[in-house]
Amino acid sequence: MKRLTIRRPLALLSAAAVIGASALVWSQAAASVAMSEGLLCDTDSNQTFSLTAEDGYVSTPDGNSIYMWSYGNSKRSFQLPGATLCVESGKPVTVVLHNKLPEATSIVFPGQKSVKANGNPAQPQFDSGGSLTSLVQPAAANDGSVTYTFTAGSPGTYLYETGTDVDKQLQMGLYGALVVRPAGHPNQVNDRADSAFTAGKEYVYLLSEIDPDVHLAVERNQPVNWAASTARYFMINGRSMPDTLAPNNAPWLPSQPYGALVHIKPYDAATNPLPATIRYLNAGSVNYPFHPHGSDERVVNRDGHSLQGPAGQDLSYQKYDLDVGPGQTVDVLMDWRDTEHWNATTNPIPTQIPAITDQLLVGSDTWFSESGYLGTKNSVPANLTQNNECGEYYHIAHSHALEQATNYGAAFGGMMTVFRIDPPAGCASQ
Amino acid sequence: MFASAISKIRKVPGRWARRIVIVATVLVVGLAAGGYAIAKGSSGSTEFPQSSAIEAQYGVRFSRIAVVGDGGLITLTYVVLDSEKATRFQSDVQHPPELRSEKRDGGTKRVSVMKQGHTLRAGQTYYLVYQNTKGALQHSEKATVLVGSLSLQHAPVL
Ligand SMILES: [Cu+2]
Repeated sequence: MKRLTIRRPLALLSAAAVIGASALVWSQAAASVAMSEGLLCDTDSNQTFSLTAEDGYVSTPDGNSIYMWSYGNSKRSFQLPGATLCVESGKPVTVVLHNKLPEATSIVFPGQKSVKANGNPAQPQFDSGGSLTSLVQPAAANDGSVTYTFTAGSPGTYLYETGTDVDKQLQMGLYGALVVRPAGHPNQVNDRADSAFTAGKEYVYLLSEIDPDVHLAVERNQPVNWAASTARYFMINGRSMPDTLAPNNAPWLPSQPYGALVHIKPYDAATNPLPATIRYLNAGSVNYPFHPHGSDERVVNRDGHSLQGPAGQDLSYQKYDLDVGPGQTVDVLMDWRDTEHWNATTNPIPTQIPAITDQLLVGSDTWFSESGYLGTKNSVPANLTQNNECGEYYHIAHSHALEQATNYGAAFGGMMTVFRIDPPAGCASQ
Repeated sequence: MFASAISKIRKVPGRWARRIVIVATVLVVGLAAGGYAIAKGSSGSTEFPQSSAIEAQYGVRFSRIAVVGDGGLITLTYVVLDSEKATRFQSDVQHPPELRSEKRDGGTKRVSVMKQGHTLRAGQTYYLVYQNTKGALQHSEKATVLVGSLSLQHAPVL
């Protein structure tokens, strides 16, 4: 508790400094980078990327500011998580790592085969005494660099992360997402035609955690007390609830460019036949039992491999709780089906709005439009306090481990967001 | 400029120093917010306005209004100045602040995810999520925050 009260004002101050410093940068970028939702990819025609490992600050919704290390695109400024790299399966990939950190760092690409570092096989490094110093050849401290090359493996989602002093550097933020697309099928998760998703309805959920005490120790060049380490902040794409609801490139989150709002319409065989895809990655140290309320998701990939049998049988499955383990990735297809076609005028099934957590998240404060019918709004009962834009639904999606759904213990926060379902005709006010 | 100020303050220990830092923080945050608005070239006042009357009565300082949820939701954030008053303010679920557009008819007082469930700590930021009823607020316009009989005008909507 003591650490918290001391930390916070300092944090606010440095946050303010960071915000001030980045204001001008943002104004230049604003014209070209619209605020949007969904996956923001870094792409390159030669699949060559330049990443800079450097330090910076991120803000948490409670007003804290955390010192971080991350892999930013070298042409942009610091960001958390690292740039999302999107590549095509079977084609060569080059990642040049520049290191501005005060210690050596590296990148490992779990799931990619025959990775090379400066042209040599990437392999563990040992000091003269035989102790392991890095899982792969690193970039030296203070302006060192190293170039990794590999051929993009099977389609799916992969973490890329530090291979040097892993416990510390991973906690400090050295991770990002690598999306490998099937050759010729950018809108499929894998090579199977049944993994197709709606173009543009693609989401990355990179889950991670922060123990602010570790970050403070590193910032002050003090020893880290790992025995006492406890994560306090839990993030989707480097943001905690409610920042997860904000658009990509929200100006008040200058170093946290990725939002985490899923925004779809109901399944319709004619007008909206394909699902959305959500790519879950766990860059943390514990399981994150993530689950959206209101619908299951179809798991089609694990760790970059499609779920199918030797003869190509579909082994994908519907799952409510997406248990993403440390270092793992899970790719799902998600749609929202109006199975009973309720309609206030043409198919009015009498309902009482049930007191499920989707609607009664806290006390009498609901997320709904006082109507069970998508696209319909009823007037607000005297004891309720909500009504929405156009009768859309908002399903909470969060880590079921409830301490992971807080901002330093304050609920709700952390690893939480919403899935927005619009009426079939869309939202008039949009 | 900010960096040297930080490093000086960080060397000062103790509770008293912390209070100074809080005050300085608020100033710097205000400046930074102003800098941002200038950089964006928005018209009119550039800072998030403050109301000493609201702060005195409710113990909170509103700090940001942002349209989120792809237009369907709004976050209103506030810094707690007085823990007791703020906890009362925040647990009064029947009377959340109302947000009104200054350009058009329209506003919202539909709050979700309201309770934090415990005492609010001074110096810390909390939030309310609103339904953006009928698209009441839009990016880069000005809004008024109505709380009880008090109001805070010309708040920028991010
Ligand atoms: Cu739940």
